[in-house]
Amino acid sequence: MFYREAGQFKTTYRGDMTVFPILQDRIGIIVILVVAFSIPLFSSNFMLHAIMIPFLIFALAAIGLNILTGYTGLLSLGTGGFMGVGAYACYKLATVFPEVHILIWVVVSGFASAAVGILFGLPSLRIKGFYLAVATLASQFFLSWCFIRIPWLVNYNVSNAIEVPRRTLFGVHVTGPEATPQARYLVVLTIVVVMTWLASNLVRGRIGRMWMAVRDMDIAAELMGIKLLNTKLLAFAVSSFYCGVAGAMLVFLYYGSAEATAFSINQSFAVLSMVIIGGLGSLLGSFMGAALIFMLPIMLPQLMAAMGLPIQSATAEHISFMIIGALIVFFLIVEPHGLARLWQIAKQKLRVWPYPY
Amino acid sequence: MRAPDDTEIKAGQTLLSVEGVSLSFGGVKAIRNVSFDIKKGEIRAIIGPNGAGKTSMLNQITFKGVKRKKMRPHDAATGGIARTFQNVALFKSMTTLDNIMAGRTLRMNKNLFWQLLRFGPAEREEIEHRRKVEEIIDFLEIQHIRRVPVGRLPYGLQKRVELGRALAMEPELLLLDEPMAGMNLEEKEDMCRYVIDVNNHYGTTIALIEHDMGVVMDLANRVVVLDYGQKIADGTPDEVKANKAVIDAYLGVAH
Repeated sequence: MFYREAGQFKTTYRGDMTVFPILQDRIGIIVILVVAFSIPLFSSNFMLHAIMIPFLIFALAAIGLNILTGYTGLLSLGTGGFMGVGAYACYKLATVFPEVHILIWVVVSGFASAAVGILFGLPSLRIKGFYLAVATLASQFFLSWCFIRIPWLVNYNVSNAIEVPRRTLFGVHVTGPEATPQARYLVVLTIVVVMTWLASNLVRGRIGRMWMAVRDMDIAAELMGIKLLNTKLLAFAVSSFYCGVAGAMLVFLYYGSAEATAFSINQSFAVLSMVIIGGLGSLLGSFMGAALIFMLPIMLPQLMAAMGLPIQSATAEHISFMIIGALIVFFLIVEPHGLARLWQIAKQKLRVWPYPY
Repeated sequence: MRAPDDTEIKAGQTLLSVEGVSLSFGGVKAIRNVSFDIKKGEIRAIIGPNGAGKTSMLNQITFKGVKRKKMRPHDAATGGIARTFQNVALFKSMTTLDNIMAGRTLRMNKNLFWQLLRFGPAEREEIEHRRKVEEIIDFLEIQHIRRVPVGRLPYGLQKRVELGRALAMEPELLLLDEPMAGMNLEEKEDMCRYVIDVNNHYGTTIALIEHDMGVVMDLANRVVVLDYGQKIADGTPDEVKANKAVIDAYLGVAH
């Protein structure tokens, strides 16, 4: 970066172990948070509803998948299913116990998702890589089937869809048709910020090291007393928890109502491509990947129009699909650690600039 | 295998004994009925020509015992056995610091809740273990690579980090599988110094597999020699050096 750590010495281990050891980084993150929380004051409803809210929700889902795939090295194609479990659990809980606040249920529904995650994570001790991906793919199809075929999950609605009830927080509507994008955005932002902070604590501590040890060299990890099954199942649980909360937020704070197709295999692939493009094993990368995948279809027509080549929205969608596909291939070959790694490299280059190293 | 237990075993007593271990891969008998013991506080070397079954032997010690037919890796770790690998088995994308911190996993016990908050007990625990890890980093003189992902380190340093990771477990018995392999003279000398220091400073019992005879003869208190999966000699370096069977195994013999 344009600044260095020079002169900022740490005299305690506590100070040395903070997330942002450099003062400028700490100021930076505070600025980002202040801007993020004040966006509703000066931006349009479209910006909030169509970009910021889904971006944050998918970033959270990407963090969930990143915990599993990036940190623990277990490939999963069941993200959509786990998000669905969160959404349906939240709906059931909110309708059976309407007196409890909806936001509590949004978070609690993560536990239902975590339980399902553990169940489908059980084969992970025996099978790895491709085969595990296929096993999780099976979970995706199984869960999709459940969402469609079990009407109990949607309280026997004729529409076979989740209908989000109206709920308020401090007298302001946060879910249902009356909720403003501003209110929903602030709720989403708060949950995502808190859960990101928790995830960063987790991956930097003992449990994060256990996950990465299992990813990098499972035999050595086992010989150091790390129990493989427990560690992998914990990764599945935490990952599914994050995905579940993201799924619940997706329906209750973004879509407003959802059918089973909202949690199809496409959702799994979308989140997986965010993780791959953003960077495996990086929380920042989860945000970058989600931003790129979400911004691209929206920014592309405007970009083309600005260059004097107005295109239709359908064409833009096709082009963005092609670009995302090309990007995935590019990142898989050139930089498996994704945008987050490119960002690190750029920072390092700037740090030593104008010298090469 | 008798599980090591530091309350009972004093220096010079048998810490671990291997009795009548055999191992075969299909029709290949890698190890045939080998028995030996390792006494607490000593440096014990296992040597032999290529393919003699040394690494298989070491894997047996860690993975399986005689008394307990199947010793799980996790039990070996809790029992106080740590090892390094012939081809370095570090966590490549993690930093030196994280690798060694990972070695302390068993000694850390704050649960998920505190880990999530990383506050109070979890933070205190992290700092306490960080202090121990820094001691090991100082001991092995690898301060300068603390923050470097180990995948980027040269081989010699990787070996040293791996030793550090094993030491972080505060093991009673340390199994080193070819700690000097692929090193230049200087790195070998350094490694020898660390092995002796570990033995003196921490009082760790060390079982060592090594090809470099000079190193083995200088370091080891007692040497066991394997050839074609069988024990052909066992004794002090001088006894082993004078042993006819050992000389034949290494130099070959006219049939």
